[in-house]
Amino acid sequence: MAEAPARPADELDLQAANGSPARIGRPVLRYGGADRTTGAQRFVADLSFPGASQVALVTIPVGCAEIVGVDSSQARRVPGVLDVVTAAELPSPMPRFGPSHQDRPVLAAGGVNFHGEPVAAVVAETTDAAQAAARLMRVDFRELPGVYTLDAALAPGAHLVHDPSIRPGDPRAERNVLEDALYTWGDVAEAQAHTDVVVEHDYTFPMVTHFPIEPGGTVVVPTEQGGLDVYSPVQHPYLLQRTIASVIGLPLNQVRVFAPDPGGAFGGKQNPKLEPLMAFIALRMRRACRLVLSLEETFHAMRRAGCRIRARTGFTRDGELTFHEVHADYQIGAYADVAPRVMAKGSYVAAGPYRIPAVRIAARAVMTNTTPSTAFRGFGSPQVAWATESQLDAGARLLGLDGLEIRRRNLVARGEAFVRGASAARADGEWRESLEKAAELVGWGEPLAPNRGRGIAVGIKPGATSGLSQSLVRLLCDGSAIVYAGTSDMGQGARTLWQQIVAEELGTPIDRVSVISGDTGTVPFDLQTSASRSTVFMGSAVLEACRDVRRRVLELYAETTGVPAEELDEAPGALITPDGRLSLPEAAREALGTLRGEFIGQGTRRLRGKGDHPLGGDAAFYEFNATAIEVEVDRETGELLLTKHVSVSDVGTELNALQVVSQDEGAAIMGLGHSQMEQLLLDEHGRIRNLGALDYRIPTFNDVPLELVTAAVENHDGPGPYGSKGISEGALLCTAGALGAAVAQATGVVIRDLPLTPERVWAALRDAEARSRADAELRSAP
Amino acid sequence: MSAGGLHDLQTVALTVNGSERTVAVPAHRTLLDALRDEMGLTGSKTCCAEGECGACTVLLDGRAVNACLVLCAEADGHEVTTVEGLSERGLTDLQEEFLNAGAVQCGFCIPGQVVSAEYLLRGNPSPSEEQIREALSGNLCRCAGYQRIVRAVQATAARRRGDRG
Amino acid sequence: MTRYYRPSSTADALSALAAEGGGARALVGGTDLLVGLRHHTIEPTLVVDLKAIADLPEPIAVGDGGIRVGPTLTMGELAAHPVVRRRYPALVEAALTVGSVAIRNRASLVGNACNGSPAADTVPALLVHDASIAIASRAGERTVPLHDFFLGPRRTLCGPDELVTRIDLPRPPDGFGSAFRRLTRRRGVDLATVSVAAGVDRDGRVVLGLGAVGPRPLRTELDAPFDAADVPGLVRALDERLEIATPISDIRGSREYRHAMVRVLARRAILAAADRRTSGEMAA
Repeated sequence: MAEAPARPADELDLQAANGSPARIGRPVLRYGGADRTTGAQRFVADLSFPGASQVALVTIPVGCAEIVGVDSSQARRVPGVLDVVTAAELPSPMPRFGPSHQDRPVLAAGGVNFHGEPVAAVVAETTDAAQAAARLMRVDFRELPGVYTLDAALAPGAHLVHDPSIRPGDPRAERNVLEDALYTWGDVAEAQAHTDVVVEHDYTFPMVTHFPIEPGGTVVVPTEQGGLDVYSPVQHPYLLQRTIASVIGLPLNQVRVFAPDPGGAFGGKQNPKLEPLMAFIALRMRRACRLVLSLEETFHAMRRAGCRIRARTGFTRDGELTFHEVHADYQIGAYADVAPRVMAKGSYVAAGPYRIPAVRIAARAVMTNTTPSTAFRGFGSPQVAWATESQLDAGARLLGLDGLEIRRRNLVARGEAFVRGASAARADGEWRESLEKAAELVGWGEPLAPNRGRGIAVGIKPGATSGLSQSLVRLLCDGSAIVYAGTSDMGQGARTLWQQIVAEELGTPIDRVSVISGDTGTVPFDLQTSASRSTVFMGSAVLEACRDVRRRVLELYAETTGVPAEELDEAPGALITPDGRLSLPEAAREALGTLRGEFIGQGTRRLRGKGDHPLGGDAAFYEFNATAIEVEVDRETGELLLTKHVSVSDVGTELNALQVVSQDEGAAIMGLGHSQMEQLLLDEHGRIRNLGALDYRIPTFNDVPLELVTAAVENHDGPGPYGSKGISEGALLCTAGALGAAVAQATGVVIRDLPLTPERVWAALRDAEARSRADAELRSAP
Repeated sequence: MSAGGLHDLQTVALTVNGSERTVAVPAHRTLLDALRDEMGLTGSKTCCAEGECGACTVLLDGRAVNACLVLCAEADGHEVTTVEGLSERGLTDLQEEFLNAGAVQCGFCIPGQVVSAEYLLRGNPSPSEEQIREALSGNLCRCAGYQRIVRAVQATAARRRGDRG
Repeated sequence: MTRYYRPSSTADALSALAAEGGGARALVGGTDLLVGLRHHTIEPTLVVDLKAIADLPEPIAVGDGGIRVGPTLTMGELAAHPVVRRRYPALVEAALTVGSVAIRNRASLVGNACNGSPAADTVPALLVHDASIAIASRAGERTVPLHDFFLGPRRTLCGPDELVTRIDLPRPPDGFGSAFRRLTRRRGVDLATVSVAAGVDRDGRVVLGLGAVGPRPLRTELDAPFDAADVPGLVRALDERLEIATPISDIRGSREYRHAMVRVLARRAILAAADRRTSGEMAA
């Protein structure tokens, strides 16, 4: 962890950054940061709801079963128990919901489709009583032959995860394939004629869970007006509002979502899960109902889709890609959630940021009786990047090229298409710069110590393809300002950026800008906090709201002072008058006069999709990252020691250098999680065997590479404010590919299944040695 | 507790952040739950609740412990310092350095990190990078601000030694 | 329903344990017990907290013959103790792998060593150092060698109405070196996939303690003395001797991997222990 040479120390020096006038790009201190260090920050489980009843969930220990009966008699006798809610207490047919398919029941109805799916909820005066009663619930069930793997789900005659009746009109309803995607361009058969080398391999990427340190929870409070206040640390409060309104049958104004800052989300807290159940329970109880999840319950609520990829790739002898065929099966779980979109959007970039004349990508979202997968940092891209980046290295090894050179020869230049055809996508950055910088920072080409290897890889991820963010900015009479922006601040530091933008545009010192978020009752609409979109979308909306304020200041200043509006002009932080430049807060004060009052600016950033685009529209931007890793392998135990890890992201413009570093380092290490140690392991009943913190391993302080270096390429070419782009996912897109290549170089053995656990590396080395012994015997045989 | 006969209650008298507190809790109540639910001290966080994540780290008689692995009853007659106790006179130098280093992201693990780091620095004013990593390796951060946190601890150590300013 | 009891004498503790007819559990550090309570895998009627007992052996006593460790010595205190650091380096290395700093501030050596986990980190080192343990019951106290103490997973010679009150470690002979090696799934805090402690004396006699490779921790010795010039010979001897390991496949590792790793770790631990014979102290 040596100081990153790529970032001069003074770039991250905070001296005076906060007190000074706005400085876009400066490492401004995090909004709300102090409360997060003292424990004063209130996460959902920290909020006090006097008189609330407590809810505990009831589950059964298998992944697929028909529920024969539920006996709550013992549970009801526990002192303090108020009610037991089963499917019988909820509307029939059971209401279902979901962001794309309305397939997720409010509570398991008739059967359980994954381990951990709640079949009942106990409501009690205390958490102790609720949990004690939940353990006394007797659920009779008949285990069904659930499908827990891709092979099982795709086998002829496989158990159907969804009864076809909940997929009416779907021609695929008799299969476990929920959706598929096909992207093709060029002529693969023709391209093979110009191909010198073909590599074909299978790759797997594990199911992994988000493991937010805040497990989270939900509190629903019925209001006197017959509405509901819903407290949940969600990334998309407005989607939750709409979901609750629709499931319960309330107008939007009667559902008010309070979204306390998520204590880590990473995509897992985007879509409604248990909130509709809690809404029904609160309505039934006519009092506040509170559910706080355990970490184990989050394992049952969110995960990343596992993936199996077969890839076949052609190269010329010069290392130029001629064709690339990918078949990717995403194991999405028991309900759709947003997983079909993960499959479609991830596989869209399965050919990587390369110039390939002929490509065929076929992907499927395959249902299994497992935790519903959802959005997770990278959104389907890391899975296919693992395969495609490994294929590049496989080709390079055959051709005698190195990992850097083969990427140099194929990486697209700015404006060049890496997805061709009707829905083409073109490079929107100087991506080569990131690749070269990563190579330079890792010391590519320098001599390697024994048992060490280096790998380099690149990754891309499409940003949002449509979207809407609305914002209000109030400039108050004393020059302070309040921003209303619905982005959830889940650790990325969104509010800090809004402060910076307001400070830059209105000339208000950063510490006099406050931000209101997390309340659909007071804050205007924002579609979502996901896809690293907020800097671009909400940032633009806040920027526009500030400019709206400036125009209004100019108009009122003209009216108040009598200076003709034509003789006035406005600029960032200033009003230009015939007598000179006035600071905007000063001009605002003069304009408002003795009645005081305030200016209210409104900003909207809307990106309409394209109906005929397979993703529903062109991505607003692409995240591009180059990662290079140097690893030392213990050949006897299979243990990896990462001696150096370099991540370079194409960021457009760094609005806050410190936050960019935090996001990049965090994503890089999270990428090491799925590359090195993380995987959900299931038993034959579909139960998660490593359920919880004791046996599901995520990176710790001691797993951080000895040297972790991040750097940013800034060409001010993004669509966001001041040329910015989203940056929060890049550093984990291709971690696996870089690590895999490094291990391959260090050991001479290629591993195509993640994670690269010590045992997996050891087994690969053992198998390779056995093969070479067998080969030697064969050769020496008479 | 109003669980009405579900559990016998145990009276526990302890000192929390310098104040004497008496609570009546069932025997199985952890110190973490008692701090959060009975005493309103929600700075210590609940994640794994089995000693793996460090989000609930507090000082018990001056030693860093996982509050989720201590029964409240065990703390009878003992002294507990939570993150709130460390912050009673405003931000400490350590907390300031967490902010300066960009170590605070979602923030959920940070109170535990701050307590563990404070404990380290009290026992070892000049920890090496390796010692910092080892001392904090029981505190998980899923935002993975690990390198930033190490910087914050180093900066605090330097500040306390008077190396700067 | 669980009750909590904090006796002030060993006799009171033993009476309380006996009165519960097997339903009581002793508590020191609680780092295993509270996890069990949370998951309801342990549902004791009574938790007997030993930390306020006045007449238990003191946390650590150093004598000419060795050291005596009482039930309340924490891993952190053990690993920081200068005499332990000088004489029992394998034990210090093992103690420092137990959980995190916060865990080691609570977890006791006696609790870690004596609750019967086949993967307990400190046991291989204690076996190498020929530990014996004292078990108290209302009938009196008996002392047994640690390697006889374990019967199977979570089953030991300590009955439900008994307490382990002491671990005795004899003073290692002059020139005895020891070392501990462990394999885990990640570099940070983790449970052992395999652990091995080795002791080598001045004459090259090799003793090994093995963790997580059978239903109970194992102690074994090599027939031939250690010869630094003949590592291949050592590897062959280990290959044969370590057939006694009977690991299972579980979530932390497969049987095959454990079989292979116990050999690798044993060789490494022996070489490290042999290196320490001259100084008799831990490498920094």
